[in-house]
Amino acid sequence: MMRNPDGVGEGEYKECMDLVRFHLRVRAGRVVEARFQAYGCGPTIAAASAATEIVAGASLVDLLDLPAAKVEAAVGGLPEARRHAAEVAMMGLQAAARDALSRVNTRSDGHA
Amino acid sequence: MNRQVYLDHNASTPVHPEVVEAMLPYFGERFGNPSSVHGFGRAAREGLETAREQVAHFLRVGKEEIVFTSGGTESDNMAVKGVAMARRSGHVITTKIEHHAVLRAVQNLETMGFGATYLDVDSFGMVDPDALRRAIRPDTILISVMHANSEIGTIQPARELGAIAREHGIPFHMDAVQTFGKVPIDLDAFNIDMLSFSGHKIYGPKGVAGLYIRKGTKMVSVQHGGEHERRRRAGTENVTGIVGLGKAVEIRGRDMAEEGRRLTGLRERLWEGLQRRVPEVRLNGHPTQRVPGTCNVSFRHVESESIVLGLDLKGIGVSAGSACTSGNVEPSYVLVAMGVPLDWAMGAVRHSLGRSTTAEDIDYVIDATEPLVAKLRSAMPARA
Repeated sequence: MMRNPDGVGEGEYKECMDLVRFHLRVRAGRVVEARFQAYGCGPTIAAASAATEIVAGASLVDLLDLPAAKVEAAVGGLPEARRHAAEVAMMGLQAAARDALSRVNTRSDGHA
Repeated sequence: MNRQVYLDHNASTPVHPEVVEAMLPYFGERFGNPSSVHGFGRAAREGLETAREQVAHFLRVGKEEIVFTSGGTESDNMAVKGVAMARRSGHVITTKIEHHAVLRAVQNLETMGFGATYLDVDSFGMVDPDALRRAIRPDTILISVMHANSEIGTIQPARELGAIAREHGIPFHMDAVQTFGKVPIDLDAFNIDMLSFSGHKIYGPKGVAGLYIRKGTKMVSVQHGGEHERRRRAGTENVTGIVGLGKAVEIRGRDMAEEGRRLTGLRERLWEGLQRRVPEVRLNGHPTQRVPGTCNVSFRHVESESIVLGLDLKGIGVSAGSACTSGNVEPSYVLVAMGVPLDWAMGAVRHSLGRSTTAEDIDYVIDATEPLVAKLRSAMPARA
């Protein structure tokens, strides 16, 4: 998937058993690469895939507030019944961004 | 351009060219209303009654015991509600794996004060005749058990169930939409009082079906209006559709046995190939007591919709055993009733073979499925 990812996060939608996990490569506070794993319906897999494309170059801080609507736009829209696909991807990315930031803050070399 | 392989014959079938040919005159010169007295009407009436004879001959019953309807759903509703309304109250026995047309009709009766028992099925989806016997009450007025379920194809022990119904003098309805024209049905040996069957499952047109009603069965009409179908089902007959249905049935009489053998061989080829090439698969349904063309396979830890979509991209049409329609996971209620664990039920894919299916088609499907499932599984986060 990714060797030594800088951030890993999961989003889950229990009602549908959808699960998305993101691995991020971060440089200077920005995402340079994102990979996903997904278990779930087609739209969820598509949303996760589209999400990895839109986060290239994004700052971790921006990702913390990433709206589901942006993921949905990236995948070209979703029917009402499948909106959760974008939410699951959003939650996963936010979690990965939080994880990446927390690692930075606890690095023993003192860099913020 | 992909090869096109249709493996969803339990959902619908293409109309047989001979059926189309038989129907055509009834769009044109023989367009009259069969109830009309004049020659135009009589020409249509002739087609209607010929079709009725074809169906009656196939089932070895009297013409007057065949009523034409608009679909399997209507036939099921007519059987269930028709018998129930004639009695005004009572108890109905059916199963947990019936088609929604029966399930919801029975649930509807419950809201009107009728009692209902929904029999369990075993891990193969089979009803236990003793369970039926135990469920019978003094006020039981109807037993409705489908001959075979559309998702898994398991064929019920109709003979034993019918015998129990007859023993207690209770009308026995069998939804045979998935078996009529595919496996032999002996109405007398099975003690069947009402039988639902549908056109578009047997290479006939959609929108037309029938209900066999044994002479003497007490029921009332649920669709009122004119005198059609001996006052059992009002409404100008769908002549073109009925003519098509009759022809389709006649063709089935000719082809059924041979097709059954051929499809059984092909479905075994499919199951054998999938087992060999794809890890963690299981068959849903009885291994041998099954409608010839049905092969429902679960792929563990993979979501069935993803497989259906992936196969669709390769020109293959199959159907999923689970639905994620409103953001809620819903594995098939049939698989749930069979006790299939969730991580298997979520990955159920139904392949239903038919007239057009060839060995090459089967091999193409296996070749497409193996890498697809492998890819979906590799993209999955490891689950505890």
